Amino acid sequence: MIKLRDVCYVRLGTRDLAAAEAFATGVLGLQVAERSKGALYLRSDDRAHTLCYSEGDPGEQAVGFEVDDEASLQDAAATLERLNHRVFAGSREEAGKRKAQAFIAFDDPTGNRIELAVRPERSGKRYFPTRDCGITGFSHVGLNSTDPARDEAFWTQVCNARVSDRIGDIPLMRVNAIHHTIALVRAPKAGLQHINHQVASNDDVMRSYYLLNEKRVPIVFGPGRHPTSGARFLYFKGPDGLVFEYSVGVDEIEDEASHRPRQFGFEPTSFCMWGAKPQGMALPNATKD
Amino acid sequence: MSADRATLVALSHVWVAARDPLTCARFAEDIVGLQRSEETADPIALRADDRSRALVFSRGGESRLAVEAWDDAALDDIQSRLSEAGFPARRASADECRARRIQSGLLARDATGNAIEIVTRPERSGRRFFGARDAGLKGVANAGLRSTDVAGDLRFWRSLGAEVSDSVGEIAYLAIDDAHHRIALYPSTSKGPLYLAFEVATLDDLMRANYFLAERQIKIVQGPGRQPASEQVFLHFQGPEGLNYTYVTGMAKRDHSRPPRQFPSVAESLCAWGSRADGAPELSPANQGAEP
Repeated sequence: MIKLRDVCYVRLGTRDLAAAEAFATGVLGLQVAERSKGALYLRSDDRAHTLCYSEGDPGEQAVGFEVDDEASLQDAAATLERLNHRVFAGSREEAGKRKAQAFIAFDDPTGNRIELAVRPERSGKRYFPTRDCGITGFSHVGLNSTDPARDEAFWTQVCNARVSDRIGDIPLMRVNAIHHTIALVRAPKAGLQHINHQVASNDDVMRSYYLLNEKRVPIVFGPGRHPTSGARFLYFKGPDGLVFEYSVGVDEIEDEASHRPRQFGFEPTSFCMWGAKPQGMALPNATKD
Repeated sequence: MSADRATLVALSHVWVAARDPLTCARFAEDIVGLQRSEETADPIALRADDRSRALVFSRGGESRLAVEAWDDAALDDIQSRLSEAGFPARRASADECRARRIQSGLLARDATGNAIEIVTRPERSGRRFFGARDAGLKGVANAGLRSTDVAGDLRFWRSLGAEVSDSVGEIAYLAIDDAHHRIALYPSTSKGPLYLAFEVATLDDLMRANYFLAERQIKIVQGPGRQPASEQVFLHFQGPEGLNYTYVTGMAKRDHSRPPRQFPSVAESLCAWGSRADGAPELSPANQGAEP
């Protein structure tokens, strides 16, 4: 079993690094950690980086998860190879680009690029956002899935993810106490469906709602509240059409042993209990193929 | 009245002179979520908590705001203070009391000319409040009044025992009990009620209302927003005949340990989140150009 500790970074390709930086700092509110040749490192919490844009194809996306140590990494590689996943062992230099000690990369069954990293760096200097956005940290990702049931099995049986709740056949999965770290979303092909950052208060969500409106950033869903995790949310579009989310108040699963995933019907109120409707953002399509 | 008792105890109700009371009442029921409390055609009374009347619609006449005082001694007290301050007031007759469902009352007028009534023992219902829709209503919270003479109206309200808790430009928030404010005076070119605010139980209720109203194409005048002075989250929307309703939640308690604070008349003094008013000039800052 591959023991994921937490999601630790996202790597995104972009054709326009300057536009990505303008959005990440001026809209999202992240802090620039480092600009190196063709790459931009951004911070959202006490980690040295949680988001990296690099010059390249926007289709090049990877999500990094932290594992315990190098031994865990070797075990994970062996497990994945046994299951016929092609495992790419990162070099020391490539690990350096991820501000981690070591890493491996592979594709999940849908084809999303996943990386497992050992000892991703923290920074002694506290995170200070570029704007007063209230971000407290990078928290979870929405991952496209061409077959949610198959991918749920991968994340929960090959890895240590546990299903917290389901909407239709869409699982929201946790790897620690936080309600979800990975949300699968039915889609025709691989890709990141959204990147979530937590903010400190409902006020932060609402302030951003009005600020983003003024800045004409497309708001695609919210402000709203998920009945599953209890989080108040706002989804909006960033560079290359990628959706970002602010949320606050996500539940923690208090009793790991006794928690039983709840089943929510596949309908709008399962995604927002307030009545917000997605605009320009597809709800995950729950129809079985 | 003993000295340690507050003169005013609560905001009681708003009586609205309507051209079409039935249409107004239907909106208050179906949209706002109030409950009809009497089966009369005119006036039509609605409740928002265990009191029989929060909002009354009646054809013609004049709109008026009623606040509740402790007892008759308080009414006497207020009457003499109003008289000293130059505001004549008279006791309501027995018929007027019956029509208002109150025990006794003092009929007065502020400097602007708004009819203000100070009432005792407004009727309560033994049956608990059950709203027409799941709005999460907890009762009447506060009211906004248009004022053409804020200094004069402040003199009036101080005679009643109200105190300014904070100001935004010339807008004055007036406290009469433990809440940050129950009355707010807004500089205006006309008189009359600007809004009547109902408390909802949770932020969820207020946000659900936001989408409920939007789906029904009801004009949102401002919000969802958060008032910096009172900390209350608000949503102003417009009903028939231009009457504004407000849902609020989370108002701060009155802080006796500090003097009233002054906020400048800019947008961010009126909403901490960045919402702007549209459709009620009184709710917009005097300094329109100022950016947060």
